[in-house]
Amino acid sequence: MKEKIVSYIKNKLVTESIETINIHEDLLGSGLVDSIGMVQLVLFIETEAGIKVSPEEMTIENFMTINHMLRFIASKQNTDTKQI
Amino acid sequence: MNDQKDALLPLTKSQSALWAGQRMHPNVPLHNVVYTFEINGEIDKILFEKAFQKLINATDILRMVFSEEKGIPVQKVLDKVDFSLEFVDFMNSNDNVAVEKWLHQSTLRLMDLSNSVFHTALLKTGPNNYIWFLKLHHLVTDAVSNSILYNRMNSFYKNELEKVTVPLENFPSFSDYIKYENDQSTTPSGSNSENYWIDKTKDILEQPQFYGEKLKKSTEARRTSIELGGERSQKLRNLAKQPEFRGWTEDLTLFNIFLTLYSTYIHRVSGQNKIVIGAPAHNRPTRDFQKTAGLFIEVLPLVIEIEDSDTFISLFNRVKVETNSYLRNASPGSATPQTNSSFNTILNYIHADFPDFNSFPTKTEWLHSDHMDSNHALRTHVYDMNKSGTFKMAFDTNCLTFSKATAEEMPNHFLNILDGFLENFEQSIFKPALLPAASLKSNSEDISSTQFQSILSSFQHNQEQHPNSVSLQAGNEILTYSSLNKKANQLAHYLTSKGVNEQTRVALHFYRSTDYIISVLAVLKTGAAFIPIASDQPSERIKYIISNSQSAFLLSQSELISKIDIPGIGILDIQKERSIIKEQPDTDIEIQNDPKSLAYILYTSGSTGKPKGVLISHEALSNYIFWAKEAYNVNQKSVFPFFTSIGFDLTITSTLLPLVSGGRINIYKEPTTEPDVSLLKVIDDNLVNCIKLTPSHLSLLKDKKLETSYIHTMIVGGEELKLNLAKTVQAAFPSELKIYNEYGPTEATVGCIVSRYNQDKHTKSSVPIGLPISNMNAYILDTYKNQVPNGVVGELYLSGAGLSNGYANAPSMTAEKFEENPFSPETKMYKTGDLGRVNKNGEFEYIGRLDEQVKLRGYRIELADIESNLLDVPEITNCAVVLVENKEITPEDEVVNCTTCGLPSNYPNADFNEDGVCHLCTAFETYKDKTERYFKNDEQLVSLLTSKRGQNRSYDCISLLSGGKDSTYVLARLVNMGLKVLAFTMDNGYISEQAKANVDRIVKKLGVDHIYGQTPHMNEIFVDSLNQHHNVCNGCFKTIYTLSTKIALEKQIPFIVTGLSRGQFFETRLTEELFWDDELDISKIDDTILEARKLYHQESDAVKRLLDVSIFEDESVFEKVEFVDFYRFSDVSLEDMLIYLKEKAGWIRPTDTGRSTNCLINQVGIYVHKKDLGYSNYSFPYSWDVRLGHKTRDESLEEINEVIDEKEVLRIMEEIGYNPSQPEWESNSKLVAYYTGEKDISIKNLQNLLTQQLPSYMLPSVYKHLDEMPLTSNGKVDKKSLKNLSAVQLAMETSYTAPRNEIEELLENIWAEVLKLNKVGVHDNFISLGGHSLAAIRVTARINEEIEYNFSLNKIFEMPTIAEYSTYIEETLTSLLEK
Repeated sequence: MKEKIVSYIKNKLVTESIETINIHEDLLGSGLVDSIGMVQLVLFIETEAGIKVSPEEMTIENFMTINHMLRFIASKQNTDTKQI
Repeated sequence: MNDQKDALLPLTKSQSALWAGQRMHPNVPLHNVVYTFEINGEIDKILFEKAFQKLINATDILRMVFSEEKGIPVQKVLDKVDFSLEFVDFMNSNDNVAVEKWLHQSTLRLMDLSNSVFHTALLKTGPNNYIWFLKLHHLVTDAVSNSILYNRMNSFYKNELEKVTVPLENFPSFSDYIKYENDQSTTPSGSNSENYWIDKTKDILEQPQFYGEKLKKSTEARRTSIELGGERSQKLRNLAKQPEFRGWTEDLTLFNIFLTLYSTYIHRVSGQNKIVIGAPAHNRPTRDFQKTAGLFIEVLPLVIEIEDSDTFISLFNRVKVETNSYLRNASPGSATPQTNSSFNTILNYIHADFPDFNSFPTKTEWLHSDHMDSNHALRTHVYDMNKSGTFKMAFDTNCLTFSKATAEEMPNHFLNILDGFLENFEQSIFKPALLPAASLKSNSEDISSTQFQSILSSFQHNQEQHPNSVSLQAGNEILTYSSLNKKANQLAHYLTSKGVNEQTRVALHFYRSTDYIISVLAVLKTGAAFIPIASDQPSERIKYIISNSQSAFLLSQSELISKIDIPGIGILDIQKERSIIKEQPDTDIEIQNDPKSLAYILYTSGSTGKPKGVLISHEALSNYIFWAKEAYNVNQKSVFPFFTSIGFDLTITSTLLPLVSGGRINIYKEPTTEPDVSLLKVIDDNLVNCIKLTPSHLSLLKDKKLETSYIHTMIVGGEELKLNLAKTVQAAFPSELKIYNEYGPTEATVGCIVSRYNQDKHTKSSVPIGLPISNMNAYILDTYKNQVPNGVVGELYLSGAGLSNGYANAPSMTAEKFEENPFSPETKMYKTGDLGRVNKNGEFEYIGRLDEQVKLRGYRIELADIESNLLDVPEITNCAVVLVENKEITPEDEVVNCTTCGLPSNYPNADFNEDGVCHLCTAFETYKDKTERYFKNDEQLVSLLTSKRGQNRSYDCISLLSGGKDSTYVLARLVNMGLKVLAFTMDNGYISEQAKANVDRIVKKLGVDHIYGQTPHMNEIFVDSLNQHHNVCNGCFKTIYTLSTKIALEKQIPFIVTGLSRGQFFETRLTEELFWDDELDISKIDDTILEARKLYHQESDAVKRLLDVSIFEDESVFEKVEFVDFYRFSDVSLEDMLIYLKEKAGWIRPTDTGRSTNCLINQVGIYVHKKDLGYSNYSFPYSWDVRLGHKTRDESLEEINEVIDEKEVLRIMEEIGYNPSQPEWESNSKLVAYYTGEKDISIKNLQNLLTQQLPSYMLPSVYKHLDEMPLTSNGKVDKKSLKNLSAVQLAMETSYTAPRNEIEELLENIWAEVLKLNKVGVHDNFISLGGHSLAAIRVTARINEEIEYNFSLNKIFEMPTIAEYSTYIEETLTSLLEK
């Protein structure tokens, strides 16, 4: 999942070409990704991780860094499994 | 770069929308997007020209042209556009005027889009100062696009300057995007996003009206700009970094903050709760398009609901979520006509920026083209294009909708909200005042301490000057000023002798009469205060008023006084004491009424159910009266009729104003028994020239001949004056008539805001109430008591000399309604509970009562709003809209059951005593022994059923066999008794398989002949029964009776035996009234039941419509075939019955029917009945079974509380074609519009007209014509009584007319009780109201009881209205008397 996100950001979202993205890097604060890009990333993650991100969950706490996203995805996948 | 030059391209969705808008307004610069860049440095115009040529070459949108091919707009990119720079030198002009003028004209100039979509120029405005003017049509650009163009031009210019050639960056062109969007839109529709926008906008019914202004379609707009300033901007940016607010990006957070503030602003200036705001989505779908110039934005709606409890932060949190949903669904091409029409306002947060040009300080301006989309009332933009750190806001307003003054004020109102937010984001969004404290203004001149003038001194003056002028006239009785004064003096002397002094309060209970006026003057002359009590007041209320007001005396007249008895106070009968009073001196009493002393106390109805006494001082009274004298030009020639209730404060005008002016009062005494129609007499007599009355009074005049009326001054008060009415009245009377609309609660003394109706000026649906009178002030305040801007609705508060001192003996109510006046220290202001606003002309408008705001399905509705719109319909003279809340169905867990019979407490009119015993059981005790005489025994049954033998009959009787336990028992017993029986089973299509098997087995075992009855119409009959009776049994029973009677007739069988339980007798045959007669005659009961049975078959229903019922046309059928209720003769317990069934009949309880022992559809009836009325249709008959000892309470409860299989019920409902008539929410409340005027007006047209003005949730669901609007004794529309009509009554085509005499009232009471209605109109039809044969028994029995006569049962069907029946009763009684 981590690689998929990194590659999506690198290839689809970021306007300048960059080498790598640190999973702890503040994507939003650094201006690397804007809010439109973030929405696209949310849609990408939904498809890739098979989860549903509600508008309430589209927060900085869940999406600031790739690490945050991974944690969020994991917690979603857990609860979603439990629900089944 | 694209290579398909000159190819025709389609327009994108956004472009198409703009194109359509521009086509609608071809001569208006609707979409000219103009930027100016003021560059502080030297520009080389040759290089600038070269750079721009490069820009054109590199950017396809600058070479784009538009045309229409066969009506379809297309665009194409020209291969080559040669550019020469327009250079304008303003070095010789001394000021900015010429530059401004050039810019303005160039901004507005239309572009020929088939030739070019842009216009650019370089203006030299100073030695080192240039303005680069860049205008593009919106079709090819947006804010980000302009920033792209600017930055590209900047670098091209630099390249030219530095003479370097930099290869062009490779980015997609706009033509590429057009193809991209086209490809996207060929993907299948029905995506999540598409559904999201459909869902989002489908319930948007109403758009906000800012400052009370309806949007007037026009493209003309004006821009008002403000700078937020460095400090505010910094604070906003700081807040955006706080964890409470921080979102994905600072711009997103700031957008959310502005959206929160903007929603608050819109709500505060429009009152709208559900707010839709359009916001441009930037919409550059991929990274590549981020560098493409062109039109990408689409405006999509954000929907925000404001809640009463909202703080800025709570609202922000919802806004944030809404924005997230918006973002994830804002895919290109989402905007549709539906989304576009969902909003009338836009918030545009622009985050494009424009750095310095060639490193010279550069200032960017966005110029407005004085036009915008005519569907928008207000578009608000937030931007910081120069990265100065300071936000700028532009408010573009529709010119036709808003005045310049309003447009200029708007940004300040927004700023006040913004400042409130910055000060404390946890405070209520309603807290910050929209207007700065400094701008508070009084609406009348300063309250001056004008010289106090008393009523008495003025009267005194008149009587001295014109002693022989007529002051009062009542029929033939005429009093001059002098004689009125003398009589008042004598009475005053008399009162003084009785101990009345300045501290005394004297109640005056009178008909309208000279004595009343004399008494008022006399009381004032003693220095005491008077308390007017109208003649129609009930004695309990009079007692309350006297004790509450601490009146020492009650002054009255013989006719009235005999009815009341109040210990502890001096009751003076002015007629009885006449001789003593006449002996008193008629000299004047020297009295100076202290301005602060009490003049009168007027009791008005209070919400607590007890009237409240409003204390009015001499100062307040004089303030009104002397103002009115001047304002209405009342003088010696003025003649007023005194025809309204003395207990109503508008009567103060008619009784005191003429006397202080030297005029005359014509007195019209109220009738004692009939309705008071004195007004009509006033008009017919034509003896007065001034009149004070209510709008409802006016609407009574519609058929009157008025063109010869002498009335020239009309003061209308007490209610909202609708424009239509004013217009009609103005036209009907001679042209010199002046109509004054006077507003004023009793608490502010008669009238305190007034306007004169002006046909030319007043165009809204109601006449404005106008301006405060002298020494009075009025304020429109919001919930936090901030004054609101003009146009905005708020609560009306009053202050000034006319204010009451409060309520008699009600300090807490006084404190609640009379508050400290924050606008004038140490004075009070009165909270009126009325909603108002100040209109464009500065006049106050009355909007409605605060508590007339009703909530229906979550929407707040101002009833007055609907009424105004109805009154715009010319055929309607008066109307009233009420919210009818159907009786709430008691939730099941709150229902209790009678401790004796189990009747549930939600049964209509159920009344339980302290032991929990219901009214039916209690009453039953009184006639229980009589009912026993109705029942008989087995032998009597056999003898009856064999009484007609010997005529060669094959059967003694038909036994109705349903297959259930009761009817099976009947059949088995009849056979056992040795009778010849034909069994008849109605196959209604829902007899269960096992029940059918039971039937077949039983008839076989018992060896009886058996017939199944059938009809193809059964389902229709069920549906009709469900609609009419909320059950299926009524329809089914009638079918059984009809079919079995037919068979009996054919086969000459004289009896049909039913298996009805004793409880069911009371549901279908017997009523308690039948047992009221002291000398009970059972044969009389049987006769009545037979009469009722005949009527029963005349009732119109599906059975009568669909089956052959011709047999009932000949009354002899009721002799040939008699119905016999088995259980009238037989008494058996359930236990014994079951044993007998098992042993003798071979009956097995079916397991496939639920609780019912035979029928599958029965549960549908139970379900519908419970759903519609809250209780089971078996509750009532079972309670009788219990009462008569045929069931235990527990058995009954178990059955009526049975759980129903809802799924199966719904399936059967669908199968028979029954649709519950209303969705669930509708059965609870609905808006009902009552109107007077043209009766035959088409409701459909009415609805269509309203649909154009009101959102659908505000449309009344019922329209009801009234002959006359019912009025309260104060002459106001009696909305309470209008709320009490039942759904059936509303559905009737007849107009509602209240009872007009005692007999009609008596009949109404009886009908209402039996039919379980609150009100019955005298023209309502008994049968349409649900009156059936059983109800006829009850109604007739009760009438006979009351009138002590013996009216026959069928009369009610012959004369099915109260009006007809009452005339019949009257005629009967008269002819009896004559005999």
